[in-house]
Amino acid sequence: MPTYTIKLPQFEGPIDLLLNLAQQGQVDLREIPLGQIAEEYVASTRVHFDLDEATEVLWVLAAMIEMKSRLLVPKDETPVEPVEGDAAPPDLQERLEERLHEYRAFKEVSSALRALEEYQQKVFARPKEGDSGEVILEGVTVDDLFHAFQQVLERAREHVGEIPAEEIKVADRIEAILRLLGEHPEGVEFPRLFSDRAGTLEVIVTFLALLELIKLRRVSAEQPQPFATIRLMLLTT
Amino acid sequence: MMTEPETTTPTSEEGSDRAELRRAVECVLLVAGAPVTPEQLTETLAVPLEAVLDVLRDLGQDYAGRGLQIQVVAGGYQLCTRPEFSEVVQRFLRLDHREPLSQAALETLAIVAYRQPVTRAEIETVRGVRSEHVLERLLDRHLIREVGRKHALGRPILYGTTEGFLRHFGLQDLHALPPLRGDDPRAAFIGTAPTGSPNGEDLSL
Repeated sequence: MPTYTIKLPQFEGPIDLLLNLAQQGQVDLREIPLGQIAEEYVASTRVHFDLDEATEVLWVLAAMIEMKSRLLVPKDETPVEPVEGDAAPPDLQERLEERLHEYRAFKEVSSALRALEEYQQKVFARPKEGDSGEVILEGVTVDDLFHAFQQVLERAREHVGEIPAEEIKVADRIEAILRLLGEHPEGVEFPRLFSDRAGTLEVIVTFLALLELIKLRRVSAEQPQPFATIRLMLLTT
Repeated sequence: MMTEPETTTPTSEEGSDRAELRRAVECVLLVAGAPVTPEQLTETLAVPLEAVLDVLRDLGQDYAGRGLQIQVVAGGYQLCTRPEFSEVVQRFLRLDHREPLSQAALETLAIVAYRQPVTRAEIETVRGVRSEHVLERLLDRHLIREVGRKHALGRPILYGTTEGFLRHFGLQDLHALPPLRGDDPRAAFIGTAPTGSPNGEDLSL
């Protein structure tokens, strides 16, 4: 995730670096126009908005505003003496720093994990025998599928029309189903596989394609209760 | 079965025993469909643990330069393909590229992994943003699970990682996680966090 970069006479670079430098005392926040940075960022979001980035910028800016306001408020010189047992609530800035350190450590380790993930995603082991089989047809009988199919067929019959000359291939329907399910990781209800304009042939071929996909264990079908709508999902191995 | 764990140059008889054991282990690894622990192998093959470990090491070497490899994942050994051939495998299985975790999910998962058992509030303190949705997605993907409830106000749910997490990253166990910078004692952060309530979990992981 690229971090938002700022350009100022005093500083040029990623915004979180500025915060880091300010915390280390290498940049004097009193010389940094935070208002200007905020305005420019807001302007830039009108062109390109990324939620993750906005969150980070907001957070970093808030931290800097707090630090800066602490610098600007005149210090109360009198009771600097440590009150007994008062060490418990650490200075807010310290806490912020601590939190930032913490967060940074996790960010770093995330990229290490990302590398492991990348490697492991290219590694394939044998899937567990019957592992996916159990979820493939959860609560769905062949009859349920057949009923659902009949309903769709009936719907198709209502739209009597010319059978288009175009050829409908199982392979194409397989691809279409996979695409549809790929776009909906949460699953798709059975009737949605069939467009309202689908002719009988398309309905049949689509159904065949679905059976094939279930057989190949690429797609799972679930029916929460009897007679409920069957839900289809892409199986990831 | 006679097996000398320390033998470096086995006599022909011992050698053939060991070779046979190696072939048997190979078969088990192939059909397992999940990482196999050395204990499972000991039980199945009725040989001492050392013999199993020796043979697993042999097998690992046998697979050098082959398309397959043996990985130590989630406490077990698994026979799997080498990453160089992922494209071929995917083409054959007609699999799409596996979807990597989003950055937000990865960060959240990292916090759960290193700080478990951990509550949502503790995660959000580190991330600085609400994490409910991300946690739900991680639960859906079986990368994390609820491991209990914290003895604190509202008894918030505690999250921990799953075996699926170890498999996703190809980790042997949680000790195999990459080191976290500035991470001394595990509970250091939770203990000193501003929201820190005394962490009196009743479970250990």
